[in-house]
Amino acid sequence: MTTALGEFSPDERAAQEERLRKAWETPKGWRYWTSVNNSQIGLWYGVTAFGFMLFAGVLALLVRLQLAVPNNDLLTADFFNQAFTLHGTVMMFLFAVPIFEAIAIFLLPSMLGARELPFPRLSAFGFWSFLLGGVFVCGSIFFNSAPSTGWFMYPPLATSKEYSGIGADIWLLGLSFIEVASIAAAVEIIVGIMKCRAPGMRINMMPMFAWYLLIVAGMILFAFPPLIAGDILFEMERMFGWPFFDAERGGDPLLWQHLFWIFGHPEVYIIFLPAIALMAMIVPTFSQRPIVGYSWIVLAAVGTGFLSFGLWVHHMFTTGLPQISLAFFSAASEAVVIPTGVQIFVFIATMLAGRVIFSVPMLFGAGGLVVFVIGGLTGVMVALVPFDWQAHDTYFVVAHLHYVLIGGMLFPIIAGIYYYFPFFSGKKLSDAWGKAAFWLMFVGFNIAFFPMHFSGLRGMPRRVFTYPGDVGWDWFNLISTIGAFIFATGVLTVVVDIFRPKTKLNDLNPWRSGTLEWTNNPDESWGMRSVPIISSRYPLWDQPGLQRDIEAGRYYLPDAQSGRRETLVTSVLDAEPIQCLRVGGTSYVTIVAALALGGVFIALTFHWWITTIVCAVITLMAILYWLWTGTAEIPPTPEMDVGLGKSLPIYVSGPASVGWWAMFITMVGDGTAFASLMFGYFFYWTIHDDFTAGLNGPGVFWPSVAIALFIVSWGLMLAARHLNRGDKIAGARLALIFSLAASLGGSVAGLLGPYVYDMQPTTHVYPAIVWIIVIWAVVHAVVGCIMQLYCLARSFAGIMTARYDQDIVNVTLYWHFLTITAVVSFGVVGLFPLVR
Amino acid sequence: MTGSSVSFVRFTPCRGACRGTSSWRGSALTAGTIILQSVILSSCSGVQSALDPAGPEASDVATLFHVMLIGGVVIWLGVVGALFHAGRRAREPYSERTAGLVILWCGAIIPVIVLAALLSYAVWLMPNMRPWSSGGEGGLRQIEVSGEQFWWRVRYLDPEGNVLFETANEVVMPVGERVLFVLKSPDVIHSFWIPSLGGKMDMIPGRTNRLALEASKPGTYRGVCAEFCGPSHALMAFSVEALERGEFEAWLSGRQNAASNPGSQGLALFLRHGCNACHAIDGTDARGTIGPNLSAFGARGTVGAGTLPNTEEHIARFIRHPSEIKPQARMPSFGMIPEGDAEEIAAYLKGLK
Amino acid sequence: MKHLLPPEIESLWTLFTAPVVWAAHFVVCYAAVAIYCEKAAVWDVDFGNVRTALGIFTLLALAMIVLSAYLAWRQWGFGAGDPPHDGATDQDRKRFQGFATLLLSGLSFVAVVYVAIPLIFIAGCQQ
Repeated sequence: MTTALGEFSPDERAAQEERLRKAWETPKGWRYWTSVNNSQIGLWYGVTAFGFMLFAGVLALLVRLQLAVPNNDLLTADFFNQAFTLHGTVMMFLFAVPIFEAIAIFLLPSMLGARELPFPRLSAFGFWSFLLGGVFVCGSIFFNSAPSTGWFMYPPLATSKEYSGIGADIWLLGLSFIEVASIAAAVEIIVGIMKCRAPGMRINMMPMFAWYLLIVAGMILFAFPPLIAGDILFEMERMFGWPFFDAERGGDPLLWQHLFWIFGHPEVYIIFLPAIALMAMIVPTFSQRPIVGYSWIVLAAVGTGFLSFGLWVHHMFTTGLPQISLAFFSAASEAVVIPTGVQIFVFIATMLAGRVIFSVPMLFGAGGLVVFVIGGLTGVMVALVPFDWQAHDTYFVVAHLHYVLIGGMLFPIIAGIYYYFPFFSGKKLSDAWGKAAFWLMFVGFNIAFFPMHFSGLRGMPRRVFTYPGDVGWDWFNLISTIGAFIFATGVLTVVVDIFRPKTKLNDLNPWRSGTLEWTNNPDESWGMRSVPIISSRYPLWDQPGLQRDIEAGRYYLPDAQSGRRETLVTSVLDAEPIQCLRVGGTSYVTIVAALALGGVFIALTFHWWITTIVCAVITLMAILYWLWTGTAEIPPTPEMDVGLGKSLPIYVSGPASVGWWAMFITMVGDGTAFASLMFGYFFYWTIHDDFTAGLNGPGVFWPSVAIALFIVSWGLMLAARHLNRGDKIAGARLALIFSLAASLGGSVAGLLGPYVYDMQPTTHVYPAIVWIIVIWAVVHAVVGCIMQLYCLARSFAGIMTARYDQDIVNVTLYWHFLTITAVVSFGVVGLFPLVR
Repeated sequence: MTGSSVSFVRFTPCRGACRGTSSWRGSALTAGTIILQSVILSSCSGVQSALDPAGPEASDVATLFHVMLIGGVVIWLGVVGALFHAGRRAREPYSERTAGLVILWCGAIIPVIVLAALLSYAVWLMPNMRPWSSGGEGGLRQIEVSGEQFWWRVRYLDPEGNVLFETANEVVMPVGERVLFVLKSPDVIHSFWIPSLGGKMDMIPGRTNRLALEASKPGTYRGVCAEFCGPSHALMAFSVEALERGEFEAWLSGRQNAASNPGSQGLALFLRHGCNACHAIDGTDARGTIGPNLSAFGARGTVGAGTLPNTEEHIARFIRHPSEIKPQARMPSFGMIPEGDAEEIAAYLKGLK
Repeated sequence: MKHLLPPEIESLWTLFTAPVVWAAHFVVCYAAVAIYCEKAAVWDVDFGNVRTALGIFTLLALAMIVLSAYLAWRQWGFGAGDPPHDGATDQDRKRFQGFATLLLSGLSFVAVVYVAIPLIFIAGCQQ
């Protein structure tokens, strides 16, 4: 270490700690819930997700009870269908994905050596959205109106009001709302991992967990938007009768299956990779050595991330698509096995090269692996088209997916709970209870799910509420039910162990782990006492005295003289400090924004249009207030001393700033949703001989005018940024106003196309898809105009200047994406009908 | 819900014998032995088992499964063995280099080779299993099946695609000949699956899918709907009867030339209560097309698409309270019909052969 | 802006080159066949031509992956210095990137070959 460390007298240290404590203080009383500190939010998030898991588990037990014997009449068919639909939905959307967002938000700051992730208020907003959406979706079953068409909601069963009730709307709108929360978390995680690592933590030294989460957050960005696009089409059909999936009017039920599974299959890996990430933290600790094959893990994570997007049709092998297409997806499905195998052998190799301590976390980890390998092997089987023709939609698949998810995700999570419990509470869970829980869960699980392979191959389809007694399934089902209850006892044991009173440990690092998070003192909310310089993958093993130096405030940011929450921003590859970022503090605006946005979705479900509009306006106001008061704040001094003789800027704009990255990442996700809509357009073109069905298109003239105006608007936006940077404020404002006018004009021209040609979206899918694409572009233009007005207001208020120009730079970035969206939209709807 | 037994009348003789053994023993034994047990017992598992193939496609898949099962067991034992070995305490730690080679060989190279071989086998199998799909459907006997909430409309077609006659919830087919099923749906997605003969194929509104299956031995098999299609998805089965060619031809001509049905008290009630609005009975004035065609109903094994055994009592109950037997069945309740009338109609239907 | 992304990000992108090539290859194979099978009757193109074109495209994709692997190998110093590449130096960081990129190129190569296997065995849409 070449940098001289700071030295402070005990008095100075006490004063520093007092200031830090004050800056990072968690509010008391009811205001506690306005906290935005990531470790707080992470905990709430995790507990909520775990609660939803228990709820969905109870539903599963009801399902198992009904199926225990043939011709059972314990549950009605309708309730059974609601129960299994909600079981799948809740486990996937309210437990599996959110629990990792929770764990990531909770662990990442300490693991990366950051005080805080860059957007704590965004995390709080995500949490409140998640809670509200989750309660809304789960609560529906108590009013007998839960979704009942299976967690993948195939149309026309789920689109037609003849076949499905309000449950389908609750599913669509409730989950769309939660998807917003997931994308918010993804933005937070990506920017956090790329920009907020401790100095010296180069990309070859990032903890494995961070590598995985980076990939997973990237996957969320490309996987969730297709579902959001699908949800929009779906809800337009349910609410207004636009026939996207109605075969009689040119739609096709298969489009939903494509969009759903483009989301659905990556989602499996979005769930699985973070669990493996936990294992990658646990295995080295208990093998008492660094992981073997760090680069192999990176290969596996990145490889899985990519390949998982080429698997979706393997959920559609029986839909009658050309066999050659099926075979491509079968091939990619086999290829994804390779990185998965690599991960398993990385763990085995690490254990081989170390001396293994079989603790409870290790027990759950190894047990999970034993289970997961069976799920992986049956996965290889069902990925082969001929076998899937038989196994698809049977209990064989039910067995397969539970082996994968419980072995690959639930067991590692429990391992993670046992491993990280001392990290957040300073107490340890019991070894005895843990072992009992493990064996109950392991044995119960296998008794419950192994027989399902056989009932499936013997012809038992999934999602049946009853079955005959004489086809050879009865014994298998009874055994499964018994196993399910043994398994549930195991889960209950874990819950009891968590709530049992325990004594405080006098040790921050009871497992003798090597990674940075174990320097964290759970009693303080400041995260790191000072932000260390890292020179190893396992700094606690390789950097002697690190813990002591951190606690003595010898590194960066030992103080909080401004009284603000501050964290370091570092460069992407080599983690050189480049900025001292002031993050948002405690606020109620996030709750207001989340509740109002929730109000929009809930009101839409019940078609309360006025409430919808009121809530939308409140949401917009709350977000504007949040941005105005909480972002791009001009600091009193341009630079500040962060300790160790280093001075860093407080305000940066452009690609160096975290805000720019958040905008970029959000727009990549947005672009994916747009691409999904365009996929829909070309999908209809492929399946029909004449996809316009002889109906009017939007013509060429108006779309061309729209394109021209959007390009003009883009040019003016660039000019505005340029003028503002050159301190020609009046010119910049003028350019902004003209740009705004041009994009509004473009929007009107865009709408005029389908309007003047009298395209009726309810008559056929062609006008419907044209309208939806045009509306998508126009909505983006309107949002852009609001951003421009915001910039103008900031400029007039004197808080957007030539030097402090984050707002206008970020809006220009938005404009690049908007222009691409508009040009592609109007270009395709206007010109493609001519050239096809 | 239905209190009575859901049953199939005919079943293969070995089924009862193997059911008891394989399952109770399975519960007591460890995972590994269950796998071996299943290999031994899989040849005997019922009218609806993919592991008891009665046609070339099902038997190809069963072979594929057994190959994968053996391979899978070997791999699983290998991985778990390695895990246990790695977890042993009394053992010198491997060098980092050796451990790296473990990853390279066991994690990467061997899986690449094994998976490439398996993938090639399966992809090679596909066009051989379903050669009819490359346009060679000419000359195949065609049966059009339409999945409807929650029953099966079955139409026998002539080579030009014209409907010879219609029936419901039963498929009769000749042995030793590929039969082309033309699969459609007017309402929601269903999936047509006869595990003993081969894989499934979805029935999707707006699309027509084709599936050719062959039965290699005579017998009665059970088919079900495999895609969740609504509240009574579980109660949507059909029977498949594979007959020797001669028997089949006889059955076919018998059905085509159904003599006009003599009038009876039951038929009169059937018409009076409006059953003919939805149902047809060939050779009578009942020509409804919304619900299942009831010609030769008495010859069917079940009432309500595999829900109840075909007895007069069950027919009468179904007429009066279909939704009690089959939740949200499309057929309205005829609870207002006097019990005696319902029984009379039931007797008439049961007598149609 | 001369670069769309800052230069340091571009060098992180080299890690993703090979999988991006795989993705492009996969999308082209899928889209070509999906469109061909729906429009074959309209366009009157023989499946053999589609197969040949995709075969050539596969070779092209493999060549690009080999190129990416070569560059990665160079970044790794042509195999100089075995893993774990865990030092706090620029050199170790570059070698780590090189080695990880090389591994990913290997995986992408295998995945492209897998996706091409159906083109060998299936000689039509088979719908």
